[in-house]
Amino acid sequence: MKAILCLVACVAIGPHVIAPYVIAPYVARDFSPASFQAPRRPQRIVSLVPAVTEMLFAMGAGDQVVGVSSYDRHPPEARTRTRLGALVDPDVERMLALKPDLAVVYGTQSDLISRLERAGVPMFSYEHAGLPDITATIRRLGARVGRADEAGRLASRIERDIEAIGSRVGGRLRPRTALIIGREPGALRGIYASAGLGFLHDMLETAGGEDAFADVGRQNLQVSIEVLLARAPDVILEMHPPEAWTPERIARERTLWRALPALPAVRNDRVYILADDVVLVPGPRVAQGIRLIAETLHPAAFRAGGRTP
Amino acid sequence: MLTVRDVHFGYGGAPVLQGVTLSVRRGDLVGILGPNGSGKTTLLRLMAGALVPQSGQVLLGQQPVGRHARRALARRLAVVPQETHLAFDYSVIEIALMGRYPHLGAFEVEGAADLAIARAALALTGTAHLADRPFDTLSGGEKQRVVIASALAQLADGLTGTPAADLRVGDDAVLLLDEPTASLDIRYQLEVASVLGRLHDERRLTIVLSTHDLRFAASMCATVVLLGRGRVLSAGPPREVLTAERVAELYEIDAGRAAPLLPV
Amino acid sequence: MTPLPLRRGLPLVAACFLAMLAAVLAAPFLGSTPIALGRVFDRGIPFADNVDAQIFFIARLPRAAAAALVGGTLAAAGVVFQGLLRNPLATPYTLGVSAGASLGAMVAITFNLMLPLGGVAPASLLGALLAVMVVYGLSTVRHRGFSTTVLLLAGVTLNAFFSALILFVQFIGDFAQTYRALRWLMGDLDVADYTPILTALPLVAAAFAVFAWLARPLNLLSMGADAAATRGIDVGRAERLAFFGASLATGAAVSVGGPIGFIGIIVPHLVRLLVGSDHRLVLPASTFFGAAFLVACDAVARIVLAPIELPVGIVTAVIGGPFFLWLLVRKR
Repeated sequence: MKAILCLVACVAIGPHVIAPYVIAPYVARDFSPASFQAPRRPQRIVSLVPAVTEMLFAMGAGDQVVGVSSYDRHPPEARTRTRLGALVDPDVERMLALKPDLAVVYGTQSDLISRLERAGVPMFSYEHAGLPDITATIRRLGARVGRADEAGRLASRIERDIEAIGSRVGGRLRPRTALIIGREPGALRGIYASAGLGFLHDMLETAGGEDAFADVGRQNLQVSIEVLLARAPDVILEMHPPEAWTPERIARERTLWRALPALPAVRNDRVYILADDVVLVPGPRVAQGIRLIAETLHPAAFRAGGRTP
Repeated sequence: MLTVRDVHFGYGGAPVLQGVTLSVRRGDLVGILGPNGSGKTTLLRLMAGALVPQSGQVLLGQQPVGRHARRALARRLAVVPQETHLAFDYSVIEIALMGRYPHLGAFEVEGAADLAIARAALALTGTAHLADRPFDTLSGGEKQRVVIASALAQLADGLTGTPAADLRVGDDAVLLLDEPTASLDIRYQLEVASVLGRLHDERRLTIVLSTHDLRFAASMCATVVLLGRGRVLSAGPPREVLTAERVAELYEIDAGRAAPLLPV
Repeated sequence: MTPLPLRRGLPLVAACFLAMLAAVLAAPFLGSTPIALGRVFDRGIPFADNVDAQIFFIARLPRAAAAALVGGTLAAAGVVFQGLLRNPLATPYTLGVSAGASLGAMVAITFNLMLPLGGVAPASLLGALLAVMVVYGLSTVRHRGFSTTVLLLAGVTLNAFFSALILFVQFIGDFAQTYRALRWLMGDLDVADYTPILTALPLVAAAFAVFAWLARPLNLLSMGADAAATRGIDVGRAERLAFFGASLATGAAVSVGGPIGFIGIIVPHLVRLLVGSDHRLVLPASTFFGAAFLVACDAVARIVLAPIELPVGIVTAVIGGPFFLWLLVRKR
């Protein structure tokens, strides 16, 4: 009996252990630009990452894009490309049918990556990170798709815009801000907040706000009422994708916070809901997103004077 | 007192009882004898009011069994099933006390009188010493006797006699038992038979039991009813009813092979 | 003469009641943020400035009340389901009520439904009601009576079917919604105020009134339906009342705190070990003990990894799983 179990275990587990050593020599596991015979200016790019899709269009490579993710909304031309799924449900068949010469994927999509490797598709791997990584990614992407100059200019412009916003709000008192990135619709439950890590946190800090949960050091944190009360934020800033957030709904959902009159943000009527994906996509419009947040936190700094070009 | 009049019953399409008529008088000890599948359990369930006949009537007193109010009926008629399986652990005294529930109001709790009746019932069946034992730890015979005690507690309306408090059961009480000795060893069969015998002899309790054991029926019952394939083949005192021909017909065997089975 | 078995169990029931009171009163004093007792009850400080009092009265006290309500209800519903199905392994979730409640919640989260009385709770209550009606309908459609065997089959089938639907709804949601949905399924007692509690209360109160009446019939039902019938119980009525009472109570509890597991099965078992099997003792004792238990688990969930909160369903599972294994190993 034991012998049979051992045999079954070996048969079940063995191939998984051996495979990497047997197959690896035949498939290049490192898909950095150097090891692949990748074209210098790929003409059939597919992108599962909305932020990267926006970057491609912004640097003038829109015509080289043939497939985008299901969540791509910007720019409008992107919506005319073939939809390919997203992080959890990429449609590999459709992707391969487009005969891509470059695939932009999430670094965590290991199944997809190994399948595309086997099909010999060059890849550009993306992972969510902090604010500086956005411009770094733009530059890296630009080199990869043969638009290094445009990418460089785009990145520099973004960096200048961000700096300009920073100087506008610099020196002002930084309100302690709870950056709410999700909660149950219609109730103050299941509240998720930015907690010290990631590009949302960086955007907030750049826009002149202090992350109320910065010390926790996570990309997001489920926040209980007690923790909210203990941190006593001066501003509550909810950020949501624009779908289904009509002005009526925004007004309704704002009033929910009246249940916690003890919060300084509620007492001073500094509860804001931003329903715009410009603040949620770490792409080329990130400066606009930061500006939107900055205007919300420091309206006085933006009242006088013209818009930043 | 308990009358079954031309009753037909079947589960789904197949008929189980066809035109069964029998009557039980006060103080009778009736045994319904038949092979497995003859409909004995079904007949008992009909007599208890748990099933409704498809045609015919089952009368307790003047009224059909089903017309009696549930709790009033339970105070007068108790059933001891062939086997009792508990979903949870109860002690013996708790099982006996459950017999008192038909005597209690909706939120009424058992009182000292009920406890005394339960104990007396256990004493009657020789299980008083097991009162605090969990039911599941008992032997088959002990379990049957405890369930009989619970049924007696159900039928009792008080205690009589001093100093030894003794169970008082109404004249119109009926005890139905489904194969009371079927799964028991000889020793336990004799125990249960002795309890039933005493109850009948000493208290004139009306008892109807079903069995497939010829000898048990012959030795215990004043009246035997032969039930074969859902029909009454014969009814009367054992001496008259238990002949070789009748038994052969009942068990569907040769008359010659039936003879050795007859009780002496 | 030795007293009635029922009387002997009363002190233990009283002890469970005291445990519940102690837990509910102590829980608001425990938490990840240190608060000063003196400041909490200091009337001199205006409430708007008194963070300690705010945390005590707004964050923690409603939460303790919610935990007590949900814990007591799930424990009592567990007892009733075990009695109805005549099986000590039955849980409040066996017949699909919580799957229905979860489906309602998933739909609300994924499609951003905004029902009156806010949030996911009313949607999950509707889902629970739907599950109850479907299961009841299935179990009576071909049988004139109410068969607990068919009920069990219908419930298990519905569980499987609704679970598949839940997975589907999660699949069509985006990543954030799926994550939120998964967290809801792990249980969350952080009610911001008393509204969810007050909304669930009428249903729970009605259910408990039914449970009080059911205690004696459940004793008899554990001997079998026939045995109960011959002792004067209207078995059909008792079983229907047990089914609807326990299902609606479970639906209410799940709509408040999500499908928190293990309470409906650990607490009745523990209580039976202490007080025996008489439902007139087991029902109240389980209610009180269940309330105390969940209040304690929620306190652990809030404190152990502060400021990160462990979902309370994980704490009950971590305690409940090993306890259950121990139960299986020690029996016979």
